[in-house]
Amino acid sequence: MKTRREFLRELIVSVGGVSALAACGDAPVVVATATGEPGRFYTPEEMELVSRLSELIIPRTETPGALDVNVPGYIDGLMADWASEETRAAHRRALTEISSRLSANGDFLALDETGAEAALAELDRSAFEEAADELGGYRTFKGYVTRSYFATEGGAREELQWVGVPGRWDPNVVVSDRQGV
Amino acid sequence: MAEATEFDAIVVGSGMSGGMSAKELCERGLRVLVLERGPEVVPERDYTDQLAPWETKNFDNVSQDEVERHYFRQYPGVPYALKESNKDFWVKDDEHDYVEAEGTRYEWLRGYHTAGRSIMWSRQTYRLGPQDFEENLREGVAIDWPVRYEDIAPWYEKVETFVGIAGSEEGLSQLPDSVFQPAFELTEAEKAFKRGVEAAFPGRNVIPARVAHLTDATEEQRSLGRSNCQLRNRCHHGCVFRAYFSSLNATLPAAERTGNLTMVHNAIVRSLEYDPESNRVSGVRVVDAETNETRTYTSRIVFLNASAIASAMILLQSQSESFPTGLANRSDQVGRNLMDHVSGAGAAGIMRGFDDRKVFGRRPGGIYIPRYANVTENDKPYSRGFGYQGGASPLGHANGQIPGIGREFKESHRRPGPWRISIGAFGEQLPNPDNRVTLHPTRRDRWGNPLAVFEVRYSRNEEIMLEEARTDAIAMLEAAGCEQIVSAPVNLTNPGNRIHEMGSARMGRDPAESVLNGWCQAHDVPNLFITDGAFMTSAACQNPSLTYMAFSARAANYAADLLAEGTL
Repeated sequence: MKTRREFLRELIVSVGGVSALAACGDAPVVVATATGEPGRFYTPEEMELVSRLSELIIPRTETPGALDVNVPGYIDGLMADWASEETRAAHRRALTEISSRLSANGDFLALDETGAEAALAELDRSAFEEAADELGGYRTFKGYVTRSYFATEGGAREELQWVGVPGRWDPNVVVSDRQGV
Repeated sequence: MAEATEFDAIVVGSGMSGGMSAKELCERGLRVLVLERGPEVVPERDYTDQLAPWETKNFDNVSQDEVERHYFRQYPGVPYALKESNKDFWVKDDEHDYVEAEGTRYEWLRGYHTAGRSIMWSRQTYRLGPQDFEENLREGVAIDWPVRYEDIAPWYEKVETFVGIAGSEEGLSQLPDSVFQPAFELTEAEKAFKRGVEAAFPGRNVIPARVAHLTDATEEQRSLGRSNCQLRNRCHHGCVFRAYFSSLNATLPAAERTGNLTMVHNAIVRSLEYDPESNRVSGVRVVDAETNETRTYTSRIVFLNASAIASAMILLQSQSESFPTGLANRSDQVGRNLMDHVSGAGAAGIMRGFDDRKVFGRRPGGIYIPRYANVTENDKPYSRGFGYQGGASPLGHANGQIPGIGREFKESHRRPGPWRISIGAFGEQLPNPDNRVTLHPTRRDRWGNPLAVFEVRYSRNEEIMLEEARTDAIAMLEAAGCEQIVSAPVNLTNPGNRIHEMGSARMGRDPAESVLNGWCQAHDVPNLFITDGAFMTSAACQNPSLTYMAFSARAANYAADLLAEGTL
């Protein structure tokens, strides 16, 4: 398999440039917590909850789901490396609130697929229909899950059909073409 | 071997205008030294445009603590351009402090490294029009420009041919066409907006943004290793295709291949030394950014291209018996008339009928609405005018901020959603001698140079203009059939926020009222030229980089002519 550097060098030659692309730096190590590893921010319980929620929000279909692309590991990395103390505390409060609401009628994590989906769907509906302040934390969490998913290789390339080097501009694509962005 | 210290020309600064000055002087056969205050940027090592989102730490977001500690002024000004993987292109605020006069704000957004801010600019590229050189005189504002559009037009053409600008020929008198490569075509929603606006407002035009991106690279551009834009929208990180213009992608390599260029990095200019006998700048004194050692370089001519603010500060720091208030400052205009463009007014709305359309590729610019106020419409309660920048794109799904979970929610992101168009004004700020940068009397940076003190306020004209720009924006969206129009109350950007600072050593005919003559040459010191934004006698409303480069090329060739004649 070609490295990114080899791919870029070939591409640059193919578009006619003679750029002195000698050594495009290899990507830095991405700071996402590996699947199965202990969280650097999350407790084991929080990691389990985040994993369950991520999977329900963006499940595996014909394309990878949030768990397949390690969304919980990326959010754990964001909280450990990007977030301020204030953001971390707000995130932790949000998870507590979400857990509490979802477990009002029993342990959410013990529910089967159908039950868990129904419980989360109800919470989600409340969060967006009522735009309730106390559910702002859930909306933010859903934003983390969604943005992280579409920024991963699986989410971007396979689900969103994101293309790294489009090479051309088409201002008018019919949606059914399922062409990349 | 000892480092050479004598040159034909010294260019202070390697950014947008310094690169062009260096290129032109080198191509005229002069041995040129470029002094850059920051470290070297090597594209192959330091550009990060090739990283995919998942290859960047924290999805390329600078950590919140780091923003608070190091980028508390830079980041709020350019959140769209300051990312984890390119944060080194921006100065750390705690290391590069400045002072705002009581009751005023100023955003001094900077990059200290090879090519300066030309690496991180947003590449909108427009000529000034004839009116821009005449309105000061016509309105009795400040002083008259000592040049007219016809003087600079050939230099625009020369620079544009080298730079490469994607745009469309429109034949507008107030925004003359450049030498263009093919424009990025408007989206269908933008075309509909254009039809609606131009039908309702015959004096207004909606055109493709003009951007310094190659779409049909010339042989000359290819010979510099440049190729066409690949529509990636990674420009603030550099570009391994060298498809957008920057000093590092174009002018500095062109200068280098002449064999006449010497670049010295980490050289912060402290002052220009003046010889009263010859009435010339006799040396450029620098402090080494890494060692704090000082040394002096000499040359026959000096070009200041350090940015409008830094160039003015260098003059103010260069005090002597002959120039007790700063070099070339007998007019007392150095540091005054500091201008920027002003934004903070606009509107957005939904364009129906395009939900089955999306785009392929991530183009570098959208639409531009050239100035019409006091050009084609002369009923305005303010002078000068503004242009709008904007564009239409699918709204998408707003980072998950829609209801739903599961397959339906996931796959909803495949649909573009409704199209949203937004436009925002860039207005002209009038020159005012009380808007200025001065040197702090006691506070120094870590290299011993005085801190800048800013005192800049908008005038009533800018406030009225932007209120009107908001009203006009809403009216145009309504005329184009937009729905759900939103427009926040006018909230003027802080001075400096548009990163178009200019005017601090204005050109004029009378040495008593201006610092430079019409050739960007100091009235008081003939071998000193300033061709960054400092020379601007008024601001116009167009993005100014192209104008800085055209005046740089013109001044460089004028200076080379004078040297050849033996006049300097």
